[in-house]
Amino acid sequence: MPTTSGQLTAGIDVGSSAVKVAIAFSDGGREGKLVFKACERIRRRNVHQLVERMFEDACAQTQISRGDFAYVASTGDADAASFATGHFYSMTTHARGALYLEPKARAALDVGALHARAIKFDDRSKVLSHRMTSQCASGSGQFVENIARYLGVPLEDAGALSVKAEGCEQVSGICAVLAETDVINMVSRGVPTGDILKGIHVSIAGRLARLLRAIKVQGAMMVTGGLALDEGLVTALRDAFKADKGDPLEVVTHPDSIYAGAIGAALLGAFRHVQLQRRGRTLGGVEINSARNASAG
Amino acid sequence: MKVFVGIDLGSTTTKAVLLDETGQIMGRGITNSRSNYEVACAVARDEAMTSARFHYLARALQELNGPAADAARAFESRLLGAFRLELYLDELAALRARITELVETAGARAPLSVREAISDILDEMEQSAPSLFLENEGRRSDFFRDLAGAAFLTAAEQISSTRGLRFEALAWPFDRAILDIETELRELDFKAVLSRAARRVGAQASGDNSLASALEKIGHQHLEEASFVGTGYGRQTLPFPKAAVRSEILCHGRGAHRLFPGTRTVLDIGGQDTKAIQVDERGVVTSFQMNDRCAAGCGRYLGYIADELSLGLHELGPLALKSCNPARINSTCTVFAGAELRERLALGEKREDILAGLHRAIMLRAMSLLARSGGVSQEFTFTGGVCKNPMACRVLKELVDENYGNQLTINIHPDSIYMGALGAALFALDDWRAGEPHLLRISQQKSSGVSEREPSACVECT
Repeated sequence: MPTTSGQLTAGIDVGSSAVKVAIAFSDGGREGKLVFKACERIRRRNVHQLVERMFEDACAQTQISRGDFAYVASTGDADAASFATGHFYSMTTHARGALYLEPKARAALDVGALHARAIKFDDRSKVLSHRMTSQCASGSGQFVENIARYLGVPLEDAGALSVKAEGCEQVSGICAVLAETDVINMVSRGVPTGDILKGIHVSIAGRLARLLRAIKVQGAMMVTGGLALDEGLVTALRDAFKADKGDPLEVVTHPDSIYAGAIGAALLGAFRHVQLQRRGRTLGGVEINSARNASAG
Repeated sequence: MKVFVGIDLGSTTTKAVLLDETGQIMGRGITNSRSNYEVACAVARDEAMTSARFHYLARALQELNGPAADAARAFESRLLGAFRLELYLDELAALRARITELVETAGARAPLSVREAISDILDEMEQSAPSLFLENEGRRSDFFRDLAGAAFLTAAEQISSTRGLRFEALAWPFDRAILDIETELRELDFKAVLSRAARRVGAQASGDNSLASALEKIGHQHLEEASFVGTGYGRQTLPFPKAAVRSEILCHGRGAHRLFPGTRTVLDIGGQDTKAIQVDERGVVTSFQMNDRCAAGCGRYLGYIADELSLGLHELGPLALKSCNPARINSTCTVFAGAELRERLALGEKREDILAGLHRAIMLRAMSLLARSGGVSQEFTFTGGVCKNPMACRVLKELVDENYGNQLTINIHPDSIYMGALGAALFALDDWRAGEPHLLRISQQKSSGVSEREPSACVECT
């Protein structure tokens, strides 16, 4: 169903623990609407097969054939989606996705399973500055997942328990692995589960707030990535900025914010498609891919 | 007779070493650390006292002559098994009482069918206990928690499937009860347990007087604790008198120096920290570097990897040794290494190759710690729980050869895990000689050692 008034594009965001697929119908990536979205955890499966199958499912459910897409954009792990027309850096896709979901956002905080990234951008989603965690999982989603596992709490419930907690019990160190001993001690001392989770959220939020402050983010910031739906973390982030003087950072979320990367990729794909057409180049997947390989090499 | 006690309270295990007045090692004891640190210390010390007494018995039996001697010596090895069995049965009885109490007050959570099933599980555990100790099977662990846990879960699995009960409905009382049992202090009446053990293996029936008198002697042997020093991960939270506490660094340096007097560099890789220590010719620490902020490079790193692969910790090293083509691991963080492991497995790399790479990664962290502490000098001693891992030892040897030349002597002692406790006991002997001994007094308290610490206030929440 390609029409002259817009482009149908897909974005595939391959993260370290989940794959997100979004399909958008947009006007060269500017105005548009989300047609389809899906998210699946990778667990121990083969990523290539999972990506292939999820895209197949997306096409089947929306009754769009592969040839109808003006552009299929990958982001995150580029190798996993070999059939994509082109690739975008996850920084730009998260910025674009966050701006699409919340027009007043001027920053995105992408909290994934292994890494967290603070991205500052302008009103056209151009990335101005960024900062990310590097060698350590202490500010990542895996930290929450591990603690939830030690506590025997399903990951989906961790946020709600943390928000309801009356107290807050922080672990002594920063290491996501050594925290296990602290947590076991807390449990044997009878500290409520919610208080322990709250402590973990506060500790992660403190580290993420430092990332955001380092790039001097102002105005509204959208939380994206897998932990965007963890209300415990979002609450802790709001608390971390509440005490700031002047204009405290506004922390915003959106029900679709975990798809921000995939949405951004789809929109940027449409934009690139229009740009290439304007330059009068034929849009052959081979040509784009070879261009990509040349720049990567 | 006087004994000098050193206790090393680690994050995973608690170790005790006993010395006599001349500084000879008399006994060693080890137990799992638990939330009540006092009880962990008391159990480790009791274990060490027991091992000291059996040490005496072995010596006394060696002096025996005549036809009875061989029989007596054969009997001795069985006696230790029987002694352990009696201790196990005592603990099991306490566990049974606690579990029964729990399920009787649980109401709807434990209907009659569950209560009966649990009672049958405990019967089954009692019946299978002798085979655990009296047959020459290699036990994976001597800790009650591990032994009873394995036995309970095996029996529970079987009974839940034959009677159509939910496994979780049978398993929860154990998890609750074991915490209480573990943190409760029980006095060890050595003489009574020994005579029960002797009766079990039929010592009295043999009518051998020399044996009976030797047994009588070790039962009566009075071991007087003359002085005590504590160290370890939990030293800040223990109710030890301040003067009876020495730092882990000092104790590990001293202990390693005692067993290997040529030692100048010590590497200790424990459960939650790694230490590189330089000592002088008298065993006094001159410089050290330590990592206890991050699990990368500690024993816990290997533990996490073992959990990822659903393997036992002791299986990692032998498996990694099979590798011909070790992988190059890029991650530092333990969590990232776990993710990299999953990724590499998904790409079809061999388990042993990835494991070999992970072992290399942890030892590289240790090497950088060693370099910062002042390098490796002749002789080099490797201690801590990780030195039980053959792959870790091999990689360390390779790395030391690569970086510091292959002229160095590397000491790895099978009892390396006791090094910290040995150092502490040596300090206890020093204190006694200087006329300033301290004693370990353990009071029966319900509260755990940790709870005595002020709960750390959370600034953000108040």
